Amino acid sequence: MKGQTWRLIITGFLIILGFIGFWNTLRLWTMTAKDRTKMEERQPGSVLQLEQKAMRLGLDLKGGIHVVLRVKKEEIEKSARADAVDRAIQVIRNRIDFTGVTEPVIQKQGDDRIIVDLPGYTDAERAEDIIGQTAQLEFKLLESYDNAQMILAKIDSVVAEIRKEGESSDSLAGDTTASESESAEAPADDSAENDILSELLGEDTGEVVDETLFGSEENPFTQYMEQFLYNPKSGIKWPGYVVAAKDRKTLEKWLASPEVQSVIPEDVQFAWSTRSEVRSAQNIYILYILKRKVQFLGKYLERIKVGRGQFQEPTVDFRLTGKPMAAFARLTGANIDKPLAIVIDGKVESAPMINSKIRGPGTITMGSGATIEDAKDLEIVLKAGALPAPVEIIEKNVIGPTLGSDSIRKGLISAVVGLLLALTLIGVYYKLSGLIADIAVIFNIFFLLAVMAGLGATLTMPGIAGIILTIGISLDANILIFERIREELRTGKTVRASIDAGYNRALLTIVDSHVTTLITAGALFVFGSGPIKGFAVSLFWGVTISLYTAVVITKTVFDIRKGYKSLSI
Amino acid sequence: MLRIIKETNINFIGQRRKAFLVSGLLILLGLFAFAMVMLNKANMGIDFAGGTMLQGNFENPINVADLRNAVTGGGFPEASIQKLERHNVPNSYMIRVKETMAGEEKAVNKLRDIISAAFPGNTFHEDSEHTIGPAVGESLKKSARWAILISVIGMIIYIGLRFDFRSGVAATVATFHDVLAVLGIFFLLNKEITLLIVTALLTLAGYSLTDTVVVYDRIRENLKKARKKAEFVGTVNRSINEVLSRTIMTSLSTLVVVLALYLFGGEVLHDFSLALLIGIVVGTYSSVFVASPIVVEWEAKSPKRFK
Repeated sequence: MKGQTWRLIITGFLIILGFIGFWNTLRLWTMTAKDRTKMEERQPGSVLQLEQKAMRLGLDLKGGIHVVLRVKKEEIEKSARADAVDRAIQVIRNRIDFTGVTEPVIQKQGDDRIIVDLPGYTDAERAEDIIGQTAQLEFKLLESYDNAQMILAKIDSVVAEIRKEGESSDSLAGDTTASESESAEAPADDSAENDILSELLGEDTGEVVDETLFGSEENPFTQYMEQFLYNPKSGIKWPGYVVAAKDRKTLEKWLASPEVQSVIPEDVQFAWSTRSEVRSAQNIYILYILKRKVQFLGKYLERIKVGRGQFQEPTVDFRLTGKPMAAFARLTGANIDKPLAIVIDGKVESAPMINSKIRGPGTITMGSGATIEDAKDLEIVLKAGALPAPVEIIEKNVIGPTLGSDSIRKGLISAVVGLLLALTLIGVYYKLSGLIADIAVIFNIFFLLAVMAGLGATLTMPGIAGIILTIGISLDANILIFERIREELRTGKTVRASIDAGYNRALLTIVDSHVTTLITAGALFVFGSGPIKGFAVSLFWGVTISLYTAVVITKTVFDIRKGYKSLSI
Repeated sequence: MLRIIKETNINFIGQRRKAFLVSGLLILLGLFAFAMVMLNKANMGIDFAGGTMLQGNFENPINVADLRNAVTGGGFPEASIQKLERHNVPNSYMIRVKETMAGEEKAVNKLRDIISAAFPGNTFHEDSEHTIGPAVGESLKKSARWAILISVIGMIIYIGLRFDFRSGVAATVATFHDVLAVLGIFFLLNKEITLLIVTALLTLAGYSLTDTVVVYDRIRENLKKARKKAEFVGTVNRSINEVLSRTIMTSLSTLVVVLALYLFGGEVLHDFSLALLIGIVVGTYSSVFVASPIVVEWEAKSPKRFK
């Protein structure tokens, strides 16, 4: 029969195509750990290459980090909002490229969101740092000590007033008694943290001034602070204060209150050190009082590289050229013996004294709390540039690698068990016809995996569920045909007539049942995200392929069987 | 020929009053659950409501009650704690809370502090962490609503093309019946409503509709052969009986695969496959006891041939 030949040719062609599409995936999945190491030895990077060609696994199976960011457009100027998200994506992509994560997925979602998927990467904290920080690097000068003390005195009196009111109205005061500030004498080598642009600056300059400046009752705010920044060369103090880590929240709360805000001049800014460090066996932060004006922007930095300071502490080195170099030289030249604060996203990396005019190369020191990883991360974000607008992480999902392999295992077990149970059921109940149907189902799954691998679809745990459901759907098509043929046989028709009648009558119903599932799969594909999309994809293709096998492959088989005298069904 | 079901002649239509009672209750339960979901009063999963999930394993065995007390007493009164069965990873637990922040602090960090304080010397190795802000939940709800709407419209268009008005309405009612029944049962079991559950419900809708379609196709076919109007109930009954073995075989073969998924598929797919399991049973029941009897009732009230 002509039609039959064609069907066989097309099916044969599809099987070959399926093998081609599935080949790399099949190779990867059937490899043992030993094979992998052997392959890697023969040609380094080849396993990774194969992985890239094979079916992609979703984060839930492979492990990794999924982050959804919201770009805070409302915090930037209107004119910059239009392309802020696209520029942010570019910057984030660059940053991730520097970290060496393979195959990251960075996508825009909706109007102001960015999805970042980092397969196989599980250091959540670092990922958050690298992706989430704006990395706006600014150089700022410190307020003069006298001005700063005046502002602090005003804050003290405002806070004292608020507290008095609070006491009279509620009789319960918050933290009235403060631990007497202990005199903290910094060990000499601690001052290295103060030293920035060290190549040119040379000497350490910061020193803790050993004096108890503030009493506690009249100084409810400053009682937590200890003056510390001091230039021994000029003998001038600068507004950098040590605050115990445990007291930071208290001060932050006061600083945020509108009453305190109102006594801080417009052009003055309070800023904390980026990291805590240990001083006199205590975890501390440093609170700086800065001039708000930005003196120099980090975007002009070139050749950014991790380095080591004079005490082997991690630093980030840079170089300046052209106009920015001249501007920076002017800035540093005009402010010799003054500290220059290196501010990233409103936090102070450090505030070293300027010892001389700085021309080409410079160094960013990072305080004694910094590790080499911190320096590497700073290098990455400075190299990739600042985000055009601040971002916030609105969703974060970290999946450990063991969890992923556990899921694969579970998916595999349930798929195999489900398949065996269903195939046995159909095989026993419908005998030879059932076995033919079983073979058709196995073909279905093979085609499904091949199509998914070939189209670069991503396999997720719900996707595996979709494949398993496909087994049920394609069996249903066969059951419909078989039951119909059985009925026809029972009425005494010949095998040929029964097959014709059974097949033709069942066909419409089969199409019906597939269409309803396709509708659901389509809607889920369009509106689902992540794992759900994986389910929709495998269900959609599973159903489409099942329709093909039912209409073409099963039909061919039955056409051949029409010549038989009796039918095993 | 191996047949579990010999030629049957069960009077399904005769049972319709009882079936309507049971189904009416199921639908009411489902509608109530649906209203609760809409009002955010149901047990919404953290993907919709926002929240924090922390999963990991303890080095040494612990007492679940101790963990529960520590977490609920530590500022998360609504925490849900679950022991997980994992291959080669004993003492695995999943903690879910509805908060993303605990005051100034991230909820996940507070959970870590609580755990390490409650079990000193017994390290908690984290396997997974998931924090979903409320804004994400909102947009997820929006896309879930769209997915539901588009599927419903798609199916109604399909029904409209495929059936006359009456059977279309009846098929729609039967489909909604199934979805609402599963939703209602999930609500009673206090199961979390997650996006995956919505997915299961939509998949069920398709499955249930198919089952109804098969029965209706047969009724239509048999009605063409039947001459007299009086034969209507009998024809419907005969049609259901004729397709009964298909209905049962299909349900069985789907049931076994979903059962495998339920038993071995792990935490992620547990409730998903449970919804499908319940749905397959309810769907099979409704295609026999709900969809066709509606048509019979309608025909009895105002005779007009089923087409």
